[in-house]
Amino acid sequence: MLTGLEAYAMVGLLVVVALFFSFYSKTADVFPTSANAAQIVGGQAVVAIIALAALIPLICNEWDLSVGATAGMSSIFAAAAMSHGAPVILAILLGIGLGALVGVVNALIITRAGVSAVITTLGMATIIEGVVNQKSKGLAIVANIPSSVVSFGSQNWLGIPRTAYALALAAVLVYYALTHTPVGRQLYALGANQEGARLVGLRTKMLLGSTFVAAGALAGAAGVLQVARAGGADPRIGPSLTLPALAAAFLSAAAIKPGRFNVAGTLVAIFFLATLNNGLNLAGAASYVSSYINGAALILGVGLAAFLGRKRTGGG
Amino acid sequence: MTPVAERNGVGGTGLRVEGLTKAYGETQALAGVSFELRRGSIHALLGGNGSGKSTAVKILAGVERADRGELAVGDERIDARAMTPGRAREAGLRFVHQQASTFPSLTVAENLAIGHGFPHDALGRVRWRAVRRRSRAVLQRFGIDADPSTPLAELGPASRAMVAIARALQDQEGEADGILVLDEPTASLPAEEVRLLLAALQRYAAAGQTILYITHRLEEVLDVADTATILRNGEVVATVDRGSVDHESLVELIVGRRVEWGLSQRSGEDRAGEPVLRASGVCGGRVRDASFSLAAGEVVGVAGLLGSGRSTLLRVIFGATPLEAGELELDGSAVRRRTPREAMRAGIAYVPEDRLSEGAFPALSVAENLAITVPGRYFGRGRWQRRRERREACGLVDTYGIKAGSIDSSFASLSGGNQQKVVLARWMQRQPRLLLLDEPTQGVDMGARAEIWKLVRGAVRQGAAALVVSSDFEELARTCDRILVMREGRIAAELRGEEINEESIDRSTLTAEIHS
Repeated sequence: MLTGLEAYAMVGLLVVVALFFSFYSKTADVFPTSANAAQIVGGQAVVAIIALAALIPLICNEWDLSVGATAGMSSIFAAAAMSHGAPVILAILLGIGLGALVGVVNALIITRAGVSAVITTLGMATIIEGVVNQKSKGLAIVANIPSSVVSFGSQNWLGIPRTAYALALAAVLVYYALTHTPVGRQLYALGANQEGARLVGLRTKMLLGSTFVAAGALAGAAGVLQVARAGGADPRIGPSLTLPALAAAFLSAAAIKPGRFNVAGTLVAIFFLATLNNGLNLAGAASYVSSYINGAALILGVGLAAFLGRKRTGGG
Repeated sequence: MTPVAERNGVGGTGLRVEGLTKAYGETQALAGVSFELRRGSIHALLGGNGSGKSTAVKILAGVERADRGELAVGDERIDARAMTPGRAREAGLRFVHQQASTFPSLTVAENLAIGHGFPHDALGRVRWRAVRRRSRAVLQRFGIDADPSTPLAELGPASRAMVAIARALQDQEGEADGILVLDEPTASLPAEEVRLLLAALQRYAAAGQTILYITHRLEEVLDVADTATILRNGEVVATVDRGSVDHESLVELIVGRRVEWGLSQRSGEDRAGEPVLRASGVCGGRVRDASFSLAAGEVVGVAGLLGSGRSTLLRVIFGATPLEAGELELDGSAVRRRTPREAMRAGIAYVPEDRLSEGAFPALSVAENLAITVPGRYFGRGRWQRRRERREACGLVDTYGIKAGSIDSSFASLSGGNQQKVVLARWMQRQPRLLLLDEPTQGVDMGARAEIWKLVRGAVRQGAAALVVSSDFEELARTCDRILVMREGRIAAELRGEEINEESIDRSTLTAEIHS
């Protein structure tokens, strides 16, 4: 009973928030429209994929603070390639490949040199910011983006934004990898007890390193999607995506599978936060309110994850 | 009022313990223990595993509550039931525990100041000159040859232990007013360092310090203790003076004559099957030059005191601690790449001593804990065969008699015995050739204990071999076909067949090389 309550509490909250803004006089005429729903879903695809990226190392109890910056870099490089006339498929592969490359560097520093993941990825995020500014000279890249890319980011299929399909694909992939492959099981074991994992013969460094590579590649994909969504690339957007994504990844331990970071929980958390922000925005709340919400969500998410984790191990 | 001269004089009563009683549930840990320490003397508290000596120390320190008893320090009488760490300190009891809680990366002066408080000025700035001056005085008083600004890690182990002692004693009002309680201070020291530390203790005692010394090592007792109290099964067997005892009679007092156990679980017949493991000249960690072999169908026990290298031996074989020298052969072929992963491939299973932090995944479910040693088994046709995983987990839970709410319950929610059965079941399903078990029945109740041994026997009967470390010698004596006795990292003795009983194991772990 109680676990059922824990598992679906955030889903319930999401429904409550959505109902509230549907009937609240200031938002009732805009919030419950399909256009607004499409706006929420389509607008969250990028940050949701970045959250899935952050989720993977988080399962091993490691933080990747470079996911937002990596997405930003991939978007700049992919947009630059497209505006120079490179084939779209090549630009996509470039974006994903660059993200994976950042992940490989992170993985080597963390597992070989033994530098803490927080520090490594924080430093990496800052370095990437430099790379982005050097490449873009601080200017957005909007010229010559192929119309096929732009329309993917702004149009619907069957009434649902096309970017949402990209998110669904990413979510299914991560879900499959985490719950249907031996590697996924091993990642959860590594997160539960690193020394124990080594003593049952798991290649702990290899596993841990691969989570950062996967996170980098996913963040790179999110960056490419951002180009489609925005019709170009903005050098300033990357770093601002990290914390909301990380907050959702942490909050995932409080939904669907309590005490465990999971894909469905991440999506619930992303859409819960987005719905709340969207409703408040429509109700006329100042834009800085979303900073309050994202910051509080990160703290709450980390706190809940620790609390639910302790509950499961029976610790005090 | 007692005259000052007598209070501080050597020979008066420093600490008297009367009728100390403590039970843990059914087990009587202490049954009316009384002893007395004279001022300025070293008094040893001796006893085997489970004799109650650690419980007595815990009560003195105020971390365990006695059921009955009284303490007298000087002329102050304290009800043992009302002891707290604060009262112990007030009464002048100072403790230095086995794992001395010093800070290796800080300097000697800082280590001392942490126990005393840093002198500082009105702005809160530490007066470092005063810290160093004070440290120098303390070091001189305790005869420690070290500079206050040296990092503690650069000192030898004996000097480090002496700094810990100095820290505990530094702010006694009179120089030797209190009582120093040392809990196995030499357990992890090499022999020459032990001599240094013991010499220092004798100097302190000569200067009037009262010392209660808890140890396993009899030769130390014979060297430095003025008197000794021997505990067995929570009772005082004897209190003796040095000079009136020798090594043999001390062993006799500690070990006692024990009732023979009924049916042993030993196989009885001496069946030397195919050799499974052959170790020659194995070194790694604490382990020095260990050579032995295990045959199929054998359960071999490893006995030894804390710090003898018994756990490290298992870790080296499993590849969890690097093999520095020597060779390991499994089923006749040398094992080259030494990692836990390779060891598992070769058919070795390892159950570590610390179940929750090394042996299992407390936050994961029983089913997940069971499946983790067979990673590929449930992955088929492109997906995780969840139904098959659950069916087999239920099968294991049945076969091994694991009592769990469900296979989805978290591992941490099970009782100790059931946790251990999950860990064993997880390894047994791989049908290992060699089982390495470190304290497999620790924290396990009697019923589950028997079941665990039955599981081990069952695996061995099918042609595996088992190497078992336990600090419960009675259990080893009843369950093992052969016992390897470790002392100071080496395999010092081997007991077979009729030689094996609790007494003989106890004896051979205690006897130092000089005596053998």
